Amino acid sequence: MDSVRKRISAAAFVLLAALAMVGPGPLGLRDGQVAPPYSKPVWLDRSIAPPMDLRVGSGAGESATAAISWGYSAPLRVSLTGALGETGLVRWTTPSGDFVLTSTPGEIDLDARDIPFKRALGVSPFENMPSVLFPSRGDYALSLEGSGDVLMRIEGGRWGILGTDHRGRDMAALFVQGLRISLIVGIAATLIATLLGMSLGLVSGYAGGLTDALVMRAVDVLLSIPTLPILMVIAGIWGKGLWNLVMILSIFSWMGTARTVRAMTLTLRDASWVEGLRAIGARRNYILFRHLVPEALPLLLANVALGVPGAILAEAGLSFLGLSDPRLPSWGRMLHDAHMFGAFASGAWWSILPAGIGISVICLIFLDIGRKLEERADPRLVAKTDLRAIEETGA
Amino acid sequence: MTASLKRICGSLAVLLVVLALNFFLFRLMPGDPLTSIVDPRFSPEAKAQLAAQWGLDRPLSEQFVVYVREMLSFRFGLSMMTGAPVWDELKKRVPNTVALLLPALALSASLGLWLGVKAALNRGSLVERVVLWGGAVSFSFPSFFVQILLLMCFAYFWRIFPLSGTTSIPPPAGGAAVLDYLWHLALPLCSLVLMGFGGFALYIRNMMVKALGEEYVLMARARGLPFRRVVWNHAFRSILPPVLTILLLSLPGVVSGAVITETVFSMNGVGRFLLEATNSHDYPAAGAAFFCLALLTVVCNLLADAACVLVDPRVRRGARE
Repeated sequence: MDSVRKRISAAAFVLLAALAMVGPGPLGLRDGQVAPPYSKPVWLDRSIAPPMDLRVGSGAGESATAAISWGYSAPLRVSLTGALGETGLVRWTTPSGDFVLTSTPGEIDLDARDIPFKRALGVSPFENMPSVLFPSRGDYALSLEGSGDVLMRIEGGRWGILGTDHRGRDMAALFVQGLRISLIVGIAATLIATLLGMSLGLVSGYAGGLTDALVMRAVDVLLSIPTLPILMVIAGIWGKGLWNLVMILSIFSWMGTARTVRAMTLTLRDASWVEGLRAIGARRNYILFRHLVPEALPLLLANVALGVPGAILAEAGLSFLGLSDPRLPSWGRMLHDAHMFGAFASGAWWSILPAGIGISVICLIFLDIGRKLEERADPRLVAKTDLRAIEETGA
Repeated sequence: MTASLKRICGSLAVLLVVLALNFFLFRLMPGDPLTSIVDPRFSPEAKAQLAAQWGLDRPLSEQFVVYVREMLSFRFGLSMMTGAPVWDELKKRVPNTVALLLPALALSASLGLWLGVKAALNRGSLVERVVLWGGAVSFSFPSFFVQILLLMCFAYFWRIFPLSGTTSIPPPAGGAAVLDYLWHLALPLCSLVLMGFGGFALYIRNMMVKALGEEYVLMARARGLPFRRVVWNHAFRSILPPVLTILLLSLPGVVSGAVITETVFSMNGVGRFLLEATNSHDYPAAGAAFFCLALLTVVCNLLADAACVLVDPRVRRGARE
């Protein structure tokens, strides 16, 4: 059972890492396109129009028609782009009458919200144009008479598999980008912190004396300062880039590793085989890096996996507080935007759930992998952490 | 005596490090601390006057002495945004943060304790599953996500709690003010307890399961002592010191959580003050807020230490010797 669970979390990790590496582009997610703000996911509300394109093109003297059957409420945005030749005309046929959208030759770039467009159609500037163009359900047709090529883009309140955020960005694309940021920050910060903790732990454990006392006091002090406020202050001063964040996070998360490695070094330092190495004239660096580091390595690996959730949560927290680069679409940033720009005043739960669940799932995955690595590194731990094993000894 | 003296010295060292960090972070950053308030069009005289107002024209050593004096006397200097003493702003917010933090800590610790012991006694029961899940949630769910969900459920879809703030605007008069305050406090407090109890409960459950398997517990039961007495006076009593240590170690995290909580619920506390000061580059105010939070942590730490002395006879004996 345990091996299956481990394989599930490992497989999930590989899957997520692959997703992060591929990015939103190849998955066909519309990255960078702008839809109406807080559009619902496409599978949510069938009475709202999904994004649609109507394209018609014809040569001189001919005409072309694109017809649709409209079964939704009025869209949010309608725009018309393309080009129209001499004596061309774009006609919009609705169940309750026809509109000549434009007959001006040349480039077309019209949006239903443009006031000149409304006036040209004889509609009051205060009217909501999409509901004038789409008065009811029924059959509609866009027809082009004369030469030209016209694209009508209709945007309802549905977009993508996860909807859009307050700026109309595709949530699914943001989610994949956020996954990448979370993984980079989490893994990089933990690796650096582990290296830092390992070297300080090794040095203080092996050297002892004043060095040891200094490092351990530093650990004690750093462990009893609330980290988030100091991270906030430093992020405010140092700037908010991705690597700044990684550095800041790693500076304040090496203490646990240092303690573990120091304790390990202390027990190993006086072990008879290390004493033997010293007796045959091995130098200190040789003992440290060829014998003690490999000994500590499995535990360090587990430490990395167990440290990643902390780093990811800290990054998310800082981004949530608005202390990350606004151009980096991280999961914390998505939640920050949702909180700041009234996602729940719009009832847009789809802009909150993916990021939050993403963070939680990735943390659970790393915790699970870390547990297993830890048990493998130190089989004595199995009795401590495995609940079933406890039950056996407790009975 | 020496043991408690050592603890107090340790706390003082923490405070000193916080002070030094505060001082040097703001002084050593690239550029001039005044850049956020000085317009390039200001005349050199005006700049010099502003520098003199914040004491930035004096040598660094002298600045440090003045700075430490300001911090320890709770004046905290002048805000760069308002020009008023920082403490005037901050003193209105400290009670709000304490009113959120201490009940949250007490409630989550006692709930965690109760559920943890119950889970250890009833293996495989619903309580144990709740504890295991609570632990997983508290280690992997970001607190602000849970809080946003709570806000969405209980303040937006089902409007029984306020969306933001510490009191209504304008605040009601008389006894209704207290109720109003509690009404605003309820959701943040619940969310902190929800996120906090799982870790404690899981830890206590694991230790309790071990303690209940010890032979002296079996022995006590064999001597015919009542079950409850064995559980509380023998098994639980023995795990109390490490439980307090865990409580102690979780304090900085709880304070960090309060900062985020205050931001999510737009509460008028020290944490949000710190965020606002950081965002507007008001360094004296940010430093003061950070110092207050660190001080709060250190004080709680000392309290937990004192409790440790009370419950652990070994520490007490060590203290007497």
